Amino acid sequence: MAVMAMLIDVSKCTACRACQVACKAWNDLPGEITVCAGCYDNPPDLSPDTWNRIAFWEIDEGERLHWAFRPVRCMHCADAPCVRVCPTGALHKNPMGFTAYDESLCNGCGYCTQFCPFDIPRLKDVNRWGQGKATKCTFCQDRATNGLVPACANACHTGAIQYGTRLDMLTAGRERVTVLQSRGYAEANLYGENILGGLGMLYVLTHPPSAFDLPENPSGGLATAWQPWIQALGGVAVGATALGLVLNWLIARKSIKAEEA
Amino acid sequence: MAEKRKELYVFSVGQRFAHWLHTAAFVVLMITGAMLYIPWFSQSIARGDGGNMVRLVHRIGAIAFILVPILYVVLDLKGFLADMKRILTWSKEDLGWAKAAPAYYFMGDDKAMPPQDKFNTGQKLFYLVVAVCMILFIVTGLVMWFGRGVVPVWMFQWSVFLHDLSTIAYAAFFLVHFMLSVVHPLMKGALNGMIFGWMPEEYVKHHHAKYYQKLQSGKE
Repeated sequence: MAVMAMLIDVSKCTACRACQVACKAWNDLPGEITVCAGCYDNPPDLSPDTWNRIAFWEIDEGERLHWAFRPVRCMHCADAPCVRVCPTGALHKNPMGFTAYDESLCNGCGYCTQFCPFDIPRLKDVNRWGQGKATKCTFCQDRATNGLVPACANACHTGAIQYGTRLDMLTAGRERVTVLQSRGYAEANLYGENILGGLGMLYVLTHPPSAFDLPENPSGGLATAWQPWIQALGGVAVGATALGLVLNWLIARKSIKAEEA
Repeated sequence: MAEKRKELYVFSVGQRFAHWLHTAAFVVLMITGAMLYIPWFSQSIARGDGGNMVRLVHRIGAIAFILVPILYVVLDLKGFLADMKRILTWSKEDLGWAKAAPAYYFMGDDKAMPPQDKFNTGQKLFYLVVAVCMILFIVTGLVMWFGRGVVPVWMFQWSVFLHDLSTIAYAAFFLVHFMLSVVHPLMKGALNGMIFGWMPEEYVKHHHAKYYQKLQSGKE
């Protein structure tokens, strides 16, 4: 199966929020009472019921102001920290490349919300006793696995969100970066080609990633060490101890009986 | 009363209560924790609503676990402080214990074993591991329970990491403790002491000679 990806070209985004609405409509997410934060961001943050939203930045370019927009949602990292720390497999990688989610398996631990370098997953808390379910953009896994275009890409009328094989998206992204550079965006770049094993959500950026609150070089941090090493260490340490004790018991039982007799 | 003279009272009601409440809480926490930590369990039993239930039981166990040191202090402050003093007192004799331990615990050869206090070196080490792990468990556990989204991300991540490391250290030491207090042929008196408070005088004399001397001279 070909690895699929989305290419988000921020230079074509008009912040119309059609993707935001399409995401809510397809995934059956209710609207929320929102707040005015003194800017166009609405709602101001992702939530269990908002998996995709347009964020706004005003980039000071000296003589003029550049108004930048970016849809914020799950980046679908190939080596996803959330998948590494998810104890139940609720978050897992689909062969099509995206980070799939099976809500019925989620036990509500919330690790994914704390290990994601992009701060994407949100936990739908039920109570303080630990009941809850994680939420995030699923790449419209029900659509994608059935050969349909994800709802946001389907709704985007400016072509800012494209969907296709990752190889095609990389080619299109590189071409677009060249075009933008020739049009005066000297710092235009393709974001996500190699980050965390390669992102499934690629961005054509007109400015450095930091201008869009994207980390230059994010890593899984402790998550990378946690799952494979700690789990192995646990098995080896506890197993070796148990083995040593069995050995001790076998020897002590005989030798100490012999001494008593 | 002739029978009583052969037995020594070594563990108070408060000490025994703290020990067994801790044990009960620990068993519950270890089982529910393993269900989240070991992939085979977490991906078969501890998923979905099962996982939510496991995490609920883990938190109930955590409350009992946190109550233990508090109740120990309330029920027997003197005993608690004496314990703390004992586990923080280390000397050359502890090195002697370490040298003599293999021959002793495998072959029953006690010729090289220096006289031990109320807790021998191994018991002191286990008590210390329990105390350190307990602090780590409680602090990191509370961070994970109440701190998600409140504390910085690095603090949450380190809490998960340290909670896991404590579990590994504790699980390994617990196996040794269980072996030496319940199974090992030389240690038949220890379990009785922790259940009923009384230990055979002969056992104390043999296994904790230094403590026995103190008891005889009225220092304890």
